Amino acid sequence: MIDTATSTPSRSSERPASEVRRGAGYWLSSYTTMLRFDVASQRNTLPLALLMQILFGTGMAIIYGFYLGRMSPGAMLYVVSGAPALAVITTGMVLVPGVVGERKIAGTWDFIWSLPSPRSAAVASTFTVYTALSLPGIVVTLVLASWRYGLHLHLTPMVVPAFLLASLMATSVGFGMAQAIRNPLVTNLIVNVLIFVVLVYSPVVFPIAQLPGWLADIHQVLPIYPLAQVLRASVSSGLVENLGVSYAVLAAWTVGAWGAAAYVIGRRR
Amino acid sequence: MAALAAPPSPVARSGVAYWADGYWRIFVWDLTNLRILMPVVVSVLILQGAGFVVGIGLFFPHMPTEAAIYVVTGAPVFGLLTIGLILEPQLVAAQRTEGSYEFLRSMPVPRTMMFLAWYTVSLIPALPALTLAVVVGSARYGLHLDVTPTVILAVLATSLTGTLIGYAVAHGIRNPMATQLLSMILIFVIFGFSPIMFPAAQLPHWLAAANLWFPFQAMANVVRSSLVSGVATGVGRSYIVLACWAAASAILAALAVGHRR
Repeated sequence: MIDTATSTPSRSSERPASEVRRGAGYWLSSYTTMLRFDVASQRNTLPLALLMQILFGTGMAIIYGFYLGRMSPGAMLYVVSGAPALAVITTGMVLVPGVVGERKIAGTWDFIWSLPSPRSAAVASTFTVYTALSLPGIVVTLVLASWRYGLHLHLTPMVVPAFLLASLMATSVGFGMAQAIRNPLVTNLIVNVLIFVVLVYSPVVFPIAQLPGWLADIHQVLPIYPLAQVLRASVSSGLVENLGVSYAVLAAWTVGAWGAAAYVIGRRR
Repeated sequence: MAALAAPPSPVARSGVAYWADGYWRIFVWDLTNLRILMPVVVSVLILQGAGFVVGIGLFFPHMPTEAAIYVVTGAPVFGLLTIGLILEPQLVAAQRTEGSYEFLRSMPVPRTMMFLAWYTVSLIPALPALTLAVVVGSARYGLHLDVTPTVILAVLATSLTGTLIGYAVAHGIRNPMATQLLSMILIFVIFGFSPIMFPAAQLPHWLAAANLWFPFQAMANVVRSSLVSGVATGVGRSYIVLACWAAASAILAALAVGHRR
């Protein structure tokens, strides 16, 4: 009896037997728990976010056609192969900053950071959810746009890395930006201006040669043009050159966004 | 003491002077309310007006003259709709959320004067920004516009109809979230699926046919006819369509703001 009592201490009075709060196993279990938390807490809004992404991406691909009027097959191919980028941009620049801002206002981040899980696991979970959310959006937008313009695309095996890296980059940059800017209202304003600039002044659905030289040069280092190039190369042939550079720029922006997010989140207040 | 107990001398709540006074007070009120937002509103209008007109040229290897005319003469209409259909519903939604909506309704000012004051205030940021869009666009694409005095009538008819529709949405729908969502969807649909800044022939037939009965193409048509000759047709019909929408929206808005609770 005495042995039994000493070997099973009551839970309320003592700390649990030294639980290891580090290592790959702990990180992975935190990550899966946070993934469940993220999906469960947004179960009502995620389908709406997917719908908005598809409507906006496909809508813009169709609307560009109305503005352009009678198009050459080459111009049409640019619009259709640019459609996946429109879907990705919607997630990264509208949905993710919106969710991060809402969670800031509601104080959800403070709650999440107080949980006994590594902050990197919580962030990785958000990235996973929104990267995964982008993928069906990209596919549906691509299918609808090619149906609208009556084009048959040539998918290559590069769709897998291209879709994944593009979604991850957009999610990371949207997340990093929204975390780095303190006031969600300012983020909202910047996002609205950015989305306009991206939709009108970025070579997503038209060749970069149509831009003035200085603007084309800027787009070589900003993430939007490489994003469109990487996605375009994976669904068409003969339109994209220097693909390696585009992948490198996207990877650099992804890592940079992670760095910014790590700096902001890791800071103690 | 007796003098203190006597009721205050009756204020005449009728007549031109009373209406003019109410109009002026609400005009100043609305303007003061907007003072912080005004730079943002003007910036947005310049960005989506002049900014869009210049930017859309990048989509074409060589901008066709017809496309340039449509964009330059359509941009002011889209700007007027942004003010009427986005700004007013969003402001009223914010007033409902923070509780100042009921306070404003309690003011002893005729509702028509409240509308007129808001309409005048909304034109203040709109007119310069939209003129800039036309001037910048004409210079960028080398267009020679043929501006006629009917531009005043066309802009007033367009902005009045747009503001009345926005007023009906803002006051007719009680839930602020629904108002905001509807106004966002409306502006996206108007931007993309109404032939304001491109010819109706570039839409699918069914959509072009539907647009004949909506006010947005009609607004673009009357403004275009006053800025450039030989492009807009059926201007009389467009004015009739606008008048019908303005009247219907005015009735709905009047029912909504006149409703006693």
